[in-house]
This record gives sequence, C-alpha cells and structure tokens, in this order.
Amino acid sequence: MTITDISHRRKFLAQGNVYLPHIVIIEKIIDETPGVRTFHFNFKDEKLREEFSFESGQFGEYSVLGIGEAPFCISSSPTRRDHLEFALQRVGKVTNALHRLGVGAEIGFRGPYGNGVPLDLLQGKNLVFVGGGIGLAPLRSLIWNVIDNRDKYENIDIIYGARSPSDLCFKYDLDAWNKDKAVNMVTTVDKGDENWTGKVGFVPQVLEQAAPSAQNAVAIVCGPPIMIRFTFPVLEKLGFTPEQMITTLEKRMKCGIGKCGRCNIGNLYVCRDGPVFSYAQIKGFISKEY
Amino acid sequence: MASSNKKISKRDTGKLLNEWSQEFAVFVPSRETGVATMAKWDGKDTSFLDWHRNTVIPPKANFLPAMEEMFNFQRDKEGYHIELPPQDKHKQLIFGIRPCDAKALAILDMTFSDSYQDPYYLSKRKNAVLVGVGCTKAYDSCFCTSLGISPAESTDVDLMLTDIGDEFLIEAITEAGKKLISRSRGLAEANEADETRAKASKEAAYQKVTRQLDTDNIKQRLLANLENKDYWEKIAAKCLSCGVCTFLCPTCYCFDINDELVKQQGARFRSWDSCAFPVYTEMPMENPRVEKWRRVRQRVYHKYEFYPMSFDVTACTGCGRCIRLCPVNWDITQALNNLPAKV
Repeated sequence: MTITDISHRRKFLAQGNVYLPHIVIIEKIIDETPGVRTFHFNFKDEKLREEFSFESGQFGEYSVLGIGEAPFCISSSPTRRDHLEFALQRVGKVTNALHRLGVGAEIGFRGPYGNGVPLDLLQGKNLVFVGGGIGLAPLRSLIWNVIDNRDKYENIDIIYGARSPSDLCFKYDLDAWNKDKAVNMVTTVDKGDENWTGKVGFVPQVLEQAAPSAQNAVAIVCGPPIMIRFTFPVLEKLGFTPEQMITTLEKRMKCGIGKCGRCNIGNLYVCRDGPVFSYAQIKGFISKEY
Repeated sequence: MASSNKKISKRDTGKLLNEWSQEFAVFVPSRETGVATMAKWDGKDTSFLDWHRNTVIPPKANFLPAMEEMFNFQRDKEGYHIELPPQDKHKQLIFGIRPCDAKALAILDMTFSDSYQDPYYLSKRKNAVLVGVGCTKAYDSCFCTSLGISPAESTDVDLMLTDIGDEFLIEAITEAGKKLISRSRGLAEANEADETRAKASKEAAYQKVTRQLDTDNIKQRLLANLENKDYWEKIAAKCLSCGVCTFLCPTCYCFDINDELVKQQGARFRSWDSCAFPVYTEMPMENPRVEKWRRVRQRVYHKYEFYPMSFDVTACTGCGRCIRLCPVNWDITQALNNLPAKV
C-alpha cells in the first residue's frame, strides 16, 4: 500500500478573497482539562451552514477579531454535521482570547484547509490510533468517522495517553469507546494520581506493550512532537512500514494556504501539503524539524 | 533597414513618463525616502535615468508591501461587519525595473497563484505594466549571470529598455508592451546602428557581472549537506539574524498576519516576516528552528532546494542585495560555493 501521494496538490476553487473570515457563532463550550476547551460552533450564514463540507484531518484558521488568528483542526466528525467543533489549549494570545469567550460569541473562521486523512486508503484495514494529549482532537474526528461507517473498516485499536488523569481530553469519547465492544481502547497516563487505576506509562511504551499487528494495518499518530518522534520507531519495530504510518502535524500556520512560508518541512508546507502526512513522506527530511 | 524596435532620447523620457502618467500610477527608482526604492514619480525628476543598477528595496514592495491592510471590521449590535480596504484604481507602471527583479516577480507569481489565489498580490500584479531598464554597471555582489539572467535582457517585463548612449532602445516583450508602444507618442524608429549599439551595451553589461555562483549539481550538493550541522554552524556563526537579507530579497515573500483593535473598530494586516527570526516558527510547546544554523540553512535551502522542488525554478535571481546589504557581509555565494563535496 502506498499513501505517499496523499498530499497531492489540488486545485482549489476558493471564491472571493480567501483571507476573509466567515463569522461563526459559539454554541457550546466544554471544559476538557484545566487548560483545554472544546467549542461547538456554527456558521452565522444559513447558506454556509448548509454548504460547508470538510474531511477528518482538515483544519481552519480561527480568529478573535482584533486579537489575531490561529490554526486548529476541526475536531468533530464530518459524519455528525449539526455543528462543528474545535478544541484548544490556552497557551498564547489568541487561545487565551478564545478561552475568554462565552456561548453566543462571534469568531472568525477560514477553511477548511489542508488535505484530510485519505479514508479510501484506510478502508478494509485494521486501524491503530495513537494519540497523546490534545493530539486526540484530529484523531477523534477520524475515529467517529470510522465508527459511523464501521462496516468499511476492520479492527480498531486506540492507544491514548496524557500527562496525568486530569489532562485526558474528550473523556466522554474515551468512555464511549471503552464501552464499544468493536473498539480496543487503551488509556494511559505518564503519572497517575490517587484515583487512577488505569495504565501508567508513556504512549510509545504502552503501544509497544499493546503490540498491535502490522498485518493489513495502518497506524494514525497524533500528539506532541516528542511523542510522535518516539512512536514511529516503536511502530517500525512492530513491523509497520513508513507507508503504513500516518500522522498529522502542527506548525505555526499563519495563512493556512501555502503563502506565508513558516510551516515548511523541506519542500512541503504543512498547511498546503498536509497536515496529514505518511511517515514515508517526511522521514528523510530534516529529522529534527518535525 | 529599420528594426521593429523603437527608441527615445533620454531627454524626452520624462515626457513619455508624463504621458504614461495619464493612464498609470508611474513608479520610478527614487531616493526620496532616503533609501533607493520604486516610488511614485513626482513628474519632474529624471535623475534615475542615470542610475546603473537595482534599488535597495526591490520592486516586490509594490506588490507585496512591507505592511498591508487585509480588511477592517466593526462590531455593533448585529455582530461583526468585515470590509475590504478601498482599492487603488490606478494601474501601476513600474519604470526602471532590472531583469533580476522582474524575474523575481515571475517567481513570486508562482507562490501567490499556486492552489489558492492571493487576491492582494495578484490584483496589483495583474494590473501592472513593467518597463525594464538594463543595467549598465554591476555591483561586486551581483551574480545574476550565474542564474541564467542577463543584466540587460528580460522576458519578464512588458517593455525592455537598453541604454545606447543618449537614447534608450525600446523592445516590446509582451502584447501589453506592444500596445503601450503603439499608443505612446514621441518614439522614433530604431535603426540598425541602434541595434548594434544595444547589442554592444548588453554584452558590456553582461561582462560587468563578475561574481560567480557554482550552480553545478547544486540541488544534489545541498541534499548531501542537509544534516551537515558542522558546516551550517560554521557558516551561520556571524549571522546576526537581523532579517535584512530576507526583507530586501526580491523573491522572499514570507509574511505575518496581525490584528489591531481600537474600541470596536479594528483591522487585520499582513507584514513582511523573516525565517531569520526565531519567533517566525515559534509554537507554544516547541520551536523547530531555535538554533541559528537551522534558520540560516532554511533560507539557503528554501531558495536553492525546496522552491525548485515545488516550482522548478531557483528562488534567487542573483540581485546581490543579501550580500551587499548584510551588516556582517554574510555571503550566500560563498556558502554555496564552499559546500563540502563529501560529507
């Protein structure tokens, strides 16, 4: 199987000025962890609400007008379209401003950008999802997408970890997947607390213990860069080829459309050619820069 | 035998520019702001006709300004209202653009029209007429000829002018150029002697570019040195990360996007940015290019390795600005010519 061409460049037919944000309205806010929130949102414009479509893995540029703009993946599944979701950690100027907003607030949205996960290449495969921290956001869009089309895919393994029990995001999803008999779910934390009875250990180690088969499988990895870096060698040890590993990367993507320059890995722009890449695509290039 | 080309005396060129000013916003090389740049012509001063070489600020600034309003917005009871800034209706005519800088615009066109169209750049670009003037001298830092560019010839302009003494020979390169010539007054027919003088002028200009960049197998040589940290650390040691090389590079296009807000009114701007700055790639948890050598390497590779991979053209035109204007004499030709053959 080859997925090295998943970032083939497409011709986009964006209408009008691609930099102008659409106004979207925040409909619901969920506190995931002390620093992470999920926002449910919808377009203010009725027509866009109907027409907007996206793929799991794609991202948008969200802005608090007057403060600035930042990229986040769409964390909801395209199979569940009564609203859209994105999740973000409070770390900088824009994310802090977003965290100050309440239900009903208007924000700017541009997108969807990037290439999305190549679902056609995942069909009929065993899927191994490896996530860390808020890196579950793009994965959960894909996981729900897969679960909603369950007959198209084989086994589903999910290995998800966070620094501590309180840093686990999307706990309602974790619960649902734990209960789902068609999903093998492993949750781990780097460091437990007095109430934690689950696994303790870093995601790559737990992945090695879980040892999902590479046979007819694709691994989809997303998490902090350090986790991604240590996960690839483990997958290789388990027999996964670079073509069988997919990741979604994050960079400081300002424009989102391959113009502003800063998100490159070699000749690839994460915003334009990604954010979904196969390991085969990026392994040779500037090993320390992804 | 008359050639199909035209000519105009330098003395009358001001008249021609005045005529063009009826139709276009005419920009010419100017030092009015203290730095040589392409500025709106005042209708009088023609001293730039005696200039020999490119300006400090490249003409890319006429299409990708150092700072540009993208839109403005207001908030009221109904929510946000977003509006585009008023557009300048005048078409630009850039007089005196050099072949290196014209080629650079052709290179920028690729980025700004790839996949998504960049409306700010392209709307200015589509409406512009470029009138090139060949160089008659070169800086020590110029190396356009190593990149297949002649200092006095260009196919990236609409009209190309060659200094033939007291006159300019005028060649129409594009259809737009032909049309402009046909409706311009005061142009004389060029004769064979003019063509001969123009040829000699172009050849002389070519010979004046002496700096050489070794482009043989450059992509392979770079690829072989991608992880040669020792080399890039040595090369980057004296760099101050000031960003001048990128701001003044005619093919550098990186920009930042920022908002400003006063009361309920605000605007979004974009402004030149630079891979020389650590903050350029900074993310909350990580920065892939904290170390200076990675940033210096990025600039070199982007121009000579990555851009060619994407668009089949080197993102450097040998204009020499990054060498000439660097406060510590960092030299990209040296960095490339001295690439170790074996790592």
